[in-house]
Amino acid sequence: MLQLNDITKNFYGVQALKEVSLSVRVGEVVGLVGENGAGKSTLMKVLNGIHQPTNGSIEINGAKRVLRGPRDAATHGIGMVFQEQSLVPNISIAENIFLGNEARFVKFGRIDWRTMNDAARQQLAKVGLEVDPNTVTADLSFIQRQMVELAKVLTLEEAVAGNLCILLDEPTSMLEQAEITILFSVIRKLRGRAGIVFISHRLDEVIEISDTIYVMKDGAVVSRMEKAEASPSRIHHLMVGREVAASYYKQEERQRPEKQIALKVRGLTKAGAFEDISFDLNQGEVAALVGTEGAGSEPLIRSLFGLEKVERGTIELNGIDLTNVLTDRSVAAGVGYVPRERKIEGIVEEMSVQENIFLPLARQATRFGLFDFSRMAKKTNELMGKLRIKAPDRSTPCVNLSGGNQQKVVLARWYRTGARLFLLDHPTRGLDVGAKEDVYSLIREICAGGAAVILIGDTLEEALGLAHTIVVLKDGMQTARFDNTAATPLTPLDLIPHMV
Amino acid sequence: MTVTRLRLASVMPLLVLAGLCVAISIAEPRFLSIDNLIRIAAASAAPLVLALGATFVILMGSIDLSVEGSMAFASAILAACVANANGAGLDLGLAALPLVIAAAALFGALIGVIHTYLRVPSFMASLGMGFVGLGIATIMLGGERVGIVDESIRALALTRILNLPISIYVATFMLALAWVIQNHTRIGRRMLALGGAEQLVVASGVNVRHVRILVFAIAGAFFGVGAVLASARLGASSALVGSGQLFTAISAVVVGGTALTGGSGGVLATLLGVLIVMVLNNGMVILGLPTFVQQGVLGIMIIIAVLLNQPIRGLAVAK
Amino acid sequence: MFIRNFMERSMIDRRRFLIGSALGAGTVAVSAGIWPARAAGTYLLASSIRSLSNAFHAAWNKGAEAFASSVGEGYSALVTEGNSEKGIADIKALLAKAGDKAILGVDPNDSPDARPIVEAVSAAKSHVVTVWNKPSDLHPWDFGDNYVAHFSFNGIPAGEQTAKSLFDTFGGEGGIVALGGIASNTPAIERKAGLMKAIEATGGKVKLLDFQDADWDSTKATNIVGAWITRFGSDIKGIWAANDSMAVGALEALRAEGLAGKVLVTGIDGTKDAVQAIRNKEMAATVDWDPIWIGGIALSLGYQAATGKFVPSKEPQEHREFYGTGVMITQSDVEDYWKTHVEATPAIDWNDLWGRVTGQIKYS
Repeated sequence: MLQLNDITKNFYGVQALKEVSLSVRVGEVVGLVGENGAGKSTLMKVLNGIHQPTNGSIEINGAKRVLRGPRDAATHGIGMVFQEQSLVPNISIAENIFLGNEARFVKFGRIDWRTMNDAARQQLAKVGLEVDPNTVTADLSFIQRQMVELAKVLTLEEAVAGNLCILLDEPTSMLEQAEITILFSVIRKLRGRAGIVFISHRLDEVIEISDTIYVMKDGAVVSRMEKAEASPSRIHHLMVGREVAASYYKQEERQRPEKQIALKVRGLTKAGAFEDISFDLNQGEVAALVGTEGAGSEPLIRSLFGLEKVERGTIELNGIDLTNVLTDRSVAAGVGYVPRERKIEGIVEEMSVQENIFLPLARQATRFGLFDFSRMAKKTNELMGKLRIKAPDRSTPCVNLSGGNQQKVVLARWYRTGARLFLLDHPTRGLDVGAKEDVYSLIREICAGGAAVILIGDTLEEALGLAHTIVVLKDGMQTARFDNTAATPLTPLDLIPHMV
Repeated sequence: MTVTRLRLASVMPLLVLAGLCVAISIAEPRFLSIDNLIRIAAASAAPLVLALGATFVILMGSIDLSVEGSMAFASAILAACVANANGAGLDLGLAALPLVIAAAALFGALIGVIHTYLRVPSFMASLGMGFVGLGIATIMLGGERVGIVDESIRALALTRILNLPISIYVATFMLALAWVIQNHTRIGRRMLALGGAEQLVVASGVNVRHVRILVFAIAGAFFGVGAVLASARLGASSALVGSGQLFTAISAVVVGGTALTGGSGGVLATLLGVLIVMVLNNGMVILGLPTFVQQGVLGIMIIIAVLLNQPIRGLAVAK
Repeated sequence: MFIRNFMERSMIDRRRFLIGSALGAGTVAVSAGIWPARAAGTYLLASSIRSLSNAFHAAWNKGAEAFASSVGEGYSALVTEGNSEKGIADIKALLAKAGDKAILGVDPNDSPDARPIVEAVSAAKSHVVTVWNKPSDLHPWDFGDNYVAHFSFNGIPAGEQTAKSLFDTFGGEGGIVALGGIASNTPAIERKAGLMKAIEATGGKVKLLDFQDADWDSTKATNIVGAWITRFGSDIKGIWAANDSMAVGALEALRAEGLAGKVLVTGIDGTKDAVQAIRNKEMAATVDWDPIWIGGIALSLGYQAATGKFVPSKEPQEHREFYGTGVMITQSDVEDYWKTHVEATPAIDWNDLWGRVTGQIKYS
């Protein structure tokens, strides 16, 4: 019922989608997989009418359509269930289902609650959810809310002539196994009346529920396979399969770590995130945490900084206990954190380069309780030179800097505080090639100075190219640990079996 | 069919009110005399109507600080429409009331327009327009208190039916009206949804601007009714008719359990909030507490109310 | 266009107060900013007052306008809106425009404000008169001729006299309740002291059942009096209020209980609705400070000093820092007062600068 023909989408000269063709039939579940940045969400936005394709066409039920936004897409029968749920928490289920379309329930200015709730009950029956439509949405469990979302999308059945296509964007990412089973049974039930596109990071799930699987990489569909041909490792190879360019990461320029232990992690556990993680990290050593999305690397690195609390286990840096401390203590003990969400946790965009560099431990820059501006200026200029931060001057607001230079400002901050442990969460996310190389060389310099680094890379290649040690996580468990300093370098193929 | 959740946070104000009444009446049994309860009810009438208007705006996650200015504006219009001491009124009698309320609603709508179309934060738009309202009233009244001579308006404060002042009936009617608006009309449900998650309401194809403007207009109408009650009680129209009411209204809304972030609470919570504040005011005088203690108690009360209404967020720092 | 008609009538009401003025219509101002100077004279006269929405300062403004037009000079009203910084900034802006030709009558928003204002005026060689508030160690004679005078009104006799006339209404024996202003304000402190003095003088015959601060606010007063009726019932023989707004609020609570006229109220300030209530026999007394006189005489003092009619530094200290006279209005003389002051306009001789001096201000 839905056919995409050679969809191409350019953003400012960058090709986000390259001649993507895809077809969904009624009765079919189409799985869509790919790494972050492979183009899945751009494709969804095209299907939802948020982006217009640069080239190519969309056919729905045999007719070519131009979609002008989510409402327009909906009138043509395309409904979307978002990753972040789109239900208003403080109103009833019925109200959510008919939000924006309540007009038919209003009589003499008053809402006819009985009719509205009856109509809502009919919709809920389609997904087999038996709850009072008058319940406040926030009182539902996550899976129930997901069902309500589905029911909301299914109201299109009455409104649209022809079949529906339902897009499910990572519907399982927050669900427990039992709930996933429920969701899948509902999806199978709906299959009879709609085409379904299913996006997920969990490959086994995608294989289980889908009839056809499309694998995307770098904005293009690299493979289309039937369920019978699919296996997690095959898909994974297709997703990440990229030439390993050791030279690009200048693997040979890595310094040898010292023998002295910097960080000791023992039995670290946080329910639902990671379990029983233990490792040592020497001074000057880079350890990379690898795993699929949601394997637990991110909560782990945030726990090491003190942003999240752990239930069990200990963290010790150079003899100082840092288990469950607030970030001021960990910063004082020499931890520096480069967050994934640069604009939320990394820098204050409105503030200048200098102010951002002097955010933590500002007391070090004071004299008699007042800022010592001449010393700050000197230090800022020194760091800007050393880290090659390209900005007109130190008072430039960070909002005017490129992503790479912003990231360097974050790194410069921890340089200044003399951090002995750098926690780098996707440090090269969203950076162009040149900026990436700069960041890589800074990481090497950090190690040469004797500080330890824990890295979550954007890709497996990046992790392999920079790290001395690779810790592999799967579903929150440490499944393998590799020494990456042997004569024959590791490849992604060595890691994948432990990841999926 | 209202959507309510029985949670500790929502029954808390009721417990607080009951506890206050018990505590005060143990110390001073005359607190519970019928006459005193009627006095509390009469004193609550105007603040309740104002707080109801403010509740709507707060429910959708905005705030309306124009209470005093809107009241001044409405009060000046009222003086112009009825027989008054300077002799130039239109002498419409009770027919002036719809005019006054419509004018107040229009004034509220204007705040909404400034807020939505000019993208001025609601607290600034309403604060600014509040001063405009005060200014207009000052010009219209020549900076004076203009006495209201019209007997039918004065009667709103002085006449009693079944030993209760008319203002209590007016306030009860406004409460019922507010309850219907909140629970049985589209605008009522939308303002609640807006307070819950604005982006999602926008994504559902609702014209959020119109909702906001309409809610400010409804709030304005309530302020207009409050201004009529206050002017009737004062027996005069004055630019200062609403002085002190903003704090009472907003604190009553908060004490009642409506979150300043919007989306939770409602008109019944506000009724409780107004009663708590007025019982406290009345009770503390009856107990003979010194004024500075009274102010302290009221301030602590508000902070406690906000704490009780907040979901516990661990160590997160509230901004 | 009934609204316009209404507004014009409001203004005609205002104009009744103005002495021999020839004001055109349309000379109203929004409660902010500087009024445009309307006549091109040699001097620029101005009043700095809290707002135009309260009756006291509105009347002050009328008196000031009346004086300005009687000498044919330009006049503007500066409104502080209760904001000290705004008050001082507006005055400095006016000085920048007028140079040494400014004549100011100022009600400083807060006592400490008086010093920077006086210093700015002296530096510009203009002339200023302050009313009500100033620090006790700031004196006109320390600034030569530019700080012409400061005058205030003694709240102690006002509080005392109204209290005495209240006691007379119930035979001088029984309980009263009293409403105070904002506790830290000088007038609130003085008026309360006067009340206490009067109670003491009765030798225990009059008992103060309770004293509450209603912050000069009418609505607060109504609610407090309601609660008092619950607490004390018929023990309340009279209600003393530190100003008329609160007195009128108290009256409202009494009216709701059918007690108006049975339990009498006194206030201070002499607002129109309080005077009306005295005529209705619901209030016993109030004190009129005559804000019209205050507004006009403050400018007259400055104007005459500037034009050389007198030299401030040659005047005795009691002409430079003095108490004015309040006029008590009671039920026995209210009809006369109504005729002379409300229905007619009292003729004020702006040249009689010190006619109402009742002594030099004493700081304790």
